Amino acid sequence: MYKELDPILHSQLRLAVMSLLISVKEAEFTFIKEKTNSTAGNLSVQVQKLKEVGYIDVNKQFKDNYPQTTCKITAKGIEAFENYVKALQVYLKV
Amino acid sequence: MPNEKQLSEKESLQLITDMIQKVKNSYHDKGVGPLLWGTVVAIASFISYLQLQFNFSLPFDIWWIVMGAIIPQIILINQDAKTQKIKRHEDAALNAVWLVYAITIFGLSFFQSVVPNASEQIMHLNGWQLIKHDINNSKPDELIKPFTPSIYSLYILIYGFPTLVTGIVKKFWPMTIGAIIAYLLFMASCFTETKYDFLLGAIAALVCWFFPGIILRAKYLKQKRANV
Repeated sequence: MYKELDPILHSQLRLAVMSLLISVKEAEFTFIKEKTNSTAGNLSVQVQKLKEVGYIDVNKQFKDNYPQTTCKITAKGIEAFENYVKALQVYLKV
Repeated sequence: MPNEKQLSEKESLQLITDMIQKVKNSYHDKGVGPLLWGTVVAIASFISYLQLQFNFSLPFDIWWIVMGAIIPQIILINQDAKTQKIKRHEDAALNAVWLVYAITIFGLSFFQSVVPNASEQIMHLNGWQLIKHDINNSKPDELIKPFTPSIYSLYILIYGFPTLVTGIVKKFWPMTIGAIIAYLLFMASCFTETKYDFLLGAIAALVCWFFPGIILRAKYLKQKRANV
């Protein structure tokens, strides 16, 4: 029985963001942008979608007089990511 | 990266693997901290050995260079905090381990400097004192101050603790091996004179921090060149 893949995660940029965040405690927006080779605008939209579904927390603050945005995966996000990977393994029979 | 591109299951799995690998490759310890501590502790230990072996003393306590290394270490920590764009899960735990290590070393130094005098006072209050008696009666009895015999062995033992934790958590085998060697040196130092304990301590500092620091530095510079 094939599970339906989470549509929020089954998109290239959102999955890339979640894959980055799953292996760190938190990451700066600029780091995610650099590693995903995305534009700031595009990334902002996808980060906002992940935030709306509760998969990540976004924290905006000032560091040395510059705005700094950091993203952190939530417990709900970890669960969704794990379920997504399990579903992928079923599809790929790995 | 395109916005809403739908992925095949195989592409999804490949993307997850690639991103996790990118995070792994994005950060390497600069190695400056281990190099700094490995150098100062090895120098202080080796000079302490030389002072005992050749019976001379410097006009200052060589261990002050270890205290002096705290200043550049604080500057390094601040610089790293400013430039670091990610926080890892293990960072907070490892920082706590090294903080506990620093407190333990300071505690042991305090013990070493305070206990002999305090013991002497307690003995004096109780009306007795320590006498060195030559078992062959070739020398007259001599009044001695209380001391902590072979205490540098305990320092070597403590050097191994945070090094082993860091080596295991970061899967960085040079530190794990360095810590194991430090434990072996600790055991050896239990059977040697104090002056050789310092020599063993210098070797422990080199294997625990200095050599792993060189490896970390080389990895960091290689990574930096690859990213240019």
